[in-house]
Amino acid sequence: MKPLILVIEDDPQIRRFLRATLAAEEYQFHEAVTATEGIAQAAARQPDLVLLDLGLPDRDGLDIIREVRSWSQMPIVVLSARGQEKDKIAALDLGADDYVAKPFAVGELLARIRAALRRAAPLAQDGADPVIRFGNVEADFEKRLITVGGQEVHLTPNEYKLLQVLIKHAGRVVTQRQLLNEVWGPHHTEQSQYLRVYVAQLRRKLEQDPARPRYLQTEPGVGYRLSFDPQS
Amino acid sequence: MASHADPTPTDETAVELAEAEPLPHTVTVSRREYGLAVAIVGIATLVALLLRPYLAATNLAMVYLLGVVAVATRCSRSASVMASFLSVAAFDFFCVPPYLTFQVSEYEYLITFAGMLAVALVISAQTSRIRAQAASAVDRESRTKALYRLSRRLAAQTRVFDAALAAAEVAEQVFGSHVTIFLPEDGRISFRKRTSNQLLIATAEEEIAQAVFDHGRKAGRGMERFPDAAATYVPLKGVSRIVGVMAILPSPQGETLKTDQQHLLDLFANQTALAIERNLSQNAADDARMQMETEEMRSSLLSAVSHDLRTPLASITGAATTLRSQSDKLAPQVRDELLESISEEALRLSRLVGNLLDMTRLESGVELRRDLYPLEEIVGSALQRLEPQLAGRDMLVSLPEDLPLVNADDVLLGQVLVNLIENATKYSPPASAIEIAAQAVAGAVQLEVRDRGPGFAPGEEKRLFEKFYRGQSEGVRGAGLGLAICRAIVVAHRGSIEALHRPGGGAIFRIRLPLEVLSKVDARI
Repeated sequence: MKPLILVIEDDPQIRRFLRATLAAEEYQFHEAVTATEGIAQAAARQPDLVLLDLGLPDRDGLDIIREVRSWSQMPIVVLSARGQEKDKIAALDLGADDYVAKPFAVGELLARIRAALRRAAPLAQDGADPVIRFGNVEADFEKRLITVGGQEVHLTPNEYKLLQVLIKHAGRVVTQRQLLNEVWGPHHTEQSQYLRVYVAQLRRKLEQDPARPRYLQTEPGVGYRLSFDPQS
Repeated sequence: MASHADPTPTDETAVELAEAEPLPHTVTVSRREYGLAVAIVGIATLVALLLRPYLAATNLAMVYLLGVVAVATRCSRSASVMASFLSVAAFDFFCVPPYLTFQVSEYEYLITFAGMLAVALVISAQTSRIRAQAASAVDRESRTKALYRLSRRLAAQTRVFDAALAAAEVAEQVFGSHVTIFLPEDGRISFRKRTSNQLLIATAEEEIAQAVFDHGRKAGRGMERFPDAAATYVPLKGVSRIVGVMAILPSPQGETLKTDQQHLLDLFANQTALAIERNLSQNAADDARMQMETEEMRSSLLSAVSHDLRTPLASITGAATTLRSQSDKLAPQVRDELLESISEEALRLSRLVGNLLDMTRLESGVELRRDLYPLEEIVGSALQRLEPQLAGRDMLVSLPEDLPLVNADDVLLGQVLVNLIENATKYSPPASAIEIAAQAVAGAVQLEVRDRGPGFAPGEEKRLFEKFYRGQSEGVRGAGLGLAICRAIVVAHRGSIEALHRPGGGAIFRIRLPLEVLSKVDARI
């Protein structure tokens, strides 16, 4: 069975193009035009993923995330406008998995959908291979060994934990708050400059050109994303 | 500071008053004057007693009249009237036989007494009238001087608030107590628009000031209405409306203004009001002109933007309709080209709309969300955003590892870099490299984006950052907003941005961001 995607979006043109794109990727597809309808459909059809537009006519898109999250962990990817970092963070804090800023290219959208679906079905990877590879980086969490181009790289404990968290969420955005919480604990969630310094150090150790990172990407105003797609 | 109501000014305050061109003080009757009158009559008596053996009694009366003249020139009228009566009594007692009694030996002395009293009273009356005239002449002169000073200061001011400041300053010097002028904001007296903070305004005082502004009548301390207020409030009445309120505190001794000073205060208020009103209408005229210029700019914006919006829309519509109606007849390669132009033009449109929105947002005053960032990260995410446009382009990025963190809004500063790098790609040949370099300089971080394009014409350095200004280069499209946005963002960060000619050809855009405390962070937590 192909994953079922529920699209909650009021604009008919965007629905039309999403329908075409998702059909081409052989996803099953369902549409809702309003927030109320969207919530009802999410409950009735139990989709594998919700693609949610934040600017709906009847209710705030954030309400939908809150409501759906009260009874389901189904992946939610938000469609938002550029420059609305506050909304993005709010959506992520409420439990959305990721976002795509409009206007977006199809490739980006499909990568987000795949990453979010992966989060929901982690079993596929579990036990298969404890070694994660991206570019010339290899991370073997069983042996706690990180190599770049076959050379072992020494990471401090915090750098190691940071990389672990990013790999766990591979392909998905992780907010600064979430990273601080998972690496340093709940008492350090306001000290985002430490996080940035660590990310910079990690880039210097893992990226070929730390000023043009290929993998450890910044989502300005929101957080970071380890950008690689193990399935593609 | 000199007080406006001190009844007996000392020499020291008199000096200060003279410096400040103060009001003369009206002569008030005091014990000292009566004492002086008694003393002068005493001296006259001593002189009369010394002359008594040589002169006839009636001539001794002249000595007393001299004394009365002396009193009249120095003291108030009542003191000199008293001196007149006292002189007649002393004359009778000491100079008319039998001595040391008020009895009179010859009745013709009664005529002497009557004559002497009459002359003394006339002298008193005349002298004090002359003195009063002289005093009011001095008074008028100093009042005129004060008003002249005020009008001279007011004439130099072109802005409303500056006029209010100048008036308050002159009034403080003249009246010797704290003066604050309140100006209205949206029809209400505003405690944010005031010339000083010396009046700590309680809510009740605010209401009094507002009432004075609303009704145009004086109130507050020393007035009928609100006599318990901390200050006296005078409306600033212009020709057509009330333009503010002048508040004057009592002197440090707690004395309020006297009548003649109140008149002067009224004149001050009147003159200040007229000056403020004049500046208001001048400013309104300026605003109208600005408005017109803005309208002009808006229409030039409209024509620029509508052109820039329509061009990509036309290509998108054209390509899309071609694909729809002639799909079968098109070679696959042509179809690809049309599809490519649709997506490229759509991206261009999206960037243009993004720029317009950014500019609008910045102009309406965007709040910076600043934090400490490694510059590397901001540069990195800008390059990441531009990935599609930069494909195959040489980018030389040189950021020293020990660069301090910058205190910036990462999204906005990223936008600056995106615009600068995008410009560099648009204006320089695809084979040339674009350089991004940063270094720490005294108290700032300096970031440069350099290209090998045609650069810009001499003299264009400043204009480049103006809204809707486009460089001379041909074949490059854009609304001329990118650099204006850059400047607005950098300025909001209290930094600077400039365009420089690059030695060997090309342009350099240099940003300086001031370093702030806390720029180094201990990475070990």
